[in-house]
Amino acid sequence: MDELAEHTLEMAQGKQLEVIGLYVVDTSVPFLTPANVKKLMKEELAQRGEEILDDLAQKFNKPSTYMINLKKVIVEGDPSEKIVELAAQEEVDIIVMGTGKSIVDKHLLGSVSEKVVHSTPCSIMLVKTVN
Amino acid sequence: MSVGDILIEIIFLIGALIVSLIIVIKSADVFVDNIVEIGSAMGISQIILGVTASAIGTSLPEFGSAMIASLSGSAELGVGTVIGSNIWNIAGILGISATVAGVIATDSKGLKRDALAVLGTGFILIFFMLFGDIDWKASIVMIALYLVYLWMLIKAQKDYAKETNEDSDDKDKKTKISKLESINKKQAALALLGLGGLIVGCRILVYSGTELAAIAGIPEMIMGLFTLAIGTSIPELVVTLSSAMKGLHELSIGTVLGSNTFNILIGIGVPALFMAIPVEPLSLSFDAPVMIFVTLLLIGLIKAGGNKLNRVGGLILLATYITYAVLRLYVLA
Repeated sequence: MDELAEHTLEMAQGKQLEVIGLYVVDTSVPFLTPANVKKLMKEELAQRGEEILDDLAQKFNKPSTYMINLKKVIVEGDPSEKIVELAAQEEVDIIVMGTGKSIVDKHLLGSVSEKVVHSTPCSIMLVKTVN
Repeated sequence: MSVGDILIEIIFLIGALIVSLIIVIKSADVFVDNIVEIGSAMGISQIILGVTASAIGTSLPEFGSAMIASLSGSAELGVGTVIGSNIWNIAGILGISATVAGVIATDSKGLKRDALAVLGTGFILIFFMLFGDIDWKASIVMIALYLVYLWMLIKAQKDYAKETNEDSDDKDKKTKISKLESINKKQAALALLGLGGLIVGCRILVYSGTELAAIAGIPEMIMGLFTLAIGTSIPELVVTLSSAMKGLHELSIGTVLGSNTFNILIGIGVPALFMAIPVEPLSLSFDAPVMIFVTLLLIGLIKAGGNKLNRVGGLILLATYITYAVLRLYVLA
């Protein structure tokens, strides 16, 4: 998240911008997952999303960033779908997201950034994030 | 009977096994869900309900199978299912989850408590096994120990809720008033349906397991140790793997360790109340010690990984499981 904020702030230099901080709660669960576990997971992820967005908001809440207006959004669903959906809906100029999984991780866990890149409605900036 | 007939019977039994597994898992889910709703309407604290449901929910298939296996004269199948489940849960499920997700972090306080519980449980099982059949006296000790453990889990959750300032008591009072009116027949009916499905499903599961074992000439113990153990652990696999992939680490390891404790103390403890559970010599000399070994291995790998189970650790666990399976199936049987 730090790198994403950093690059966004760099691009924003001196301009009046609206920034949307989006966290998608991934609600997909495998077949045969107990219902109460699904609920627990959603709650935990939503809480984590709030913490991440609050953290982000702090970076945009300094006197030097007074021209930037940060809007925090949490939605549920498939991450790549929701990112593309919101970007189209809000007619954003550029999506800033992280990348950098190893090849093994990409194959085992999938890559949200790859999916977004293929269906993005606008420019996209992939920032290498250190996990 | 011709070869064709036998083949058809085997296919039918495998089908019955798979279908009954799905019924058992789904029924357990429906049952736990509605019992929690009813308990909530009766005013039982959300924390107690949540902790208990999580601890028991994924292990009902193991418990149901062990119970029904014992009652229908196939106690070995039951014990095999429980011990096999525990070994699979740690070496197989955590192995797969750590390998796929890359890393599973742990909360050291909870880990200490849960790991000690699992280890202690393993030693207690072996202790009772040394005396011959596991009977009602062992059963009472085991069930009592589980209740202590459950109380510790509930207390820990209550402390956590206080820390994060959740006013659980106030919340409970409000929900009590509004929900008392809504213990409806639907929830009770669904809970009963779930329970029924669990019982019927387990009965079919045990039946198809024992018949397949008979036809294929496999000892019931082996059928329990592998087929039923892995099958009844599907909920644990699904929860552990997906929470590991989502980075919800506590849920991942906690599910497995909590399950293992329940499997032994209740999965063997409760059936032992009704009848003495026979102890197969190989379980005492090999399976149970392996169960303890993989638990120690897990703890060692987590410590070595800096309080995390990483991909290498996951692969080591998987390799251990495969070694165990090969030894148990081909070398020792």
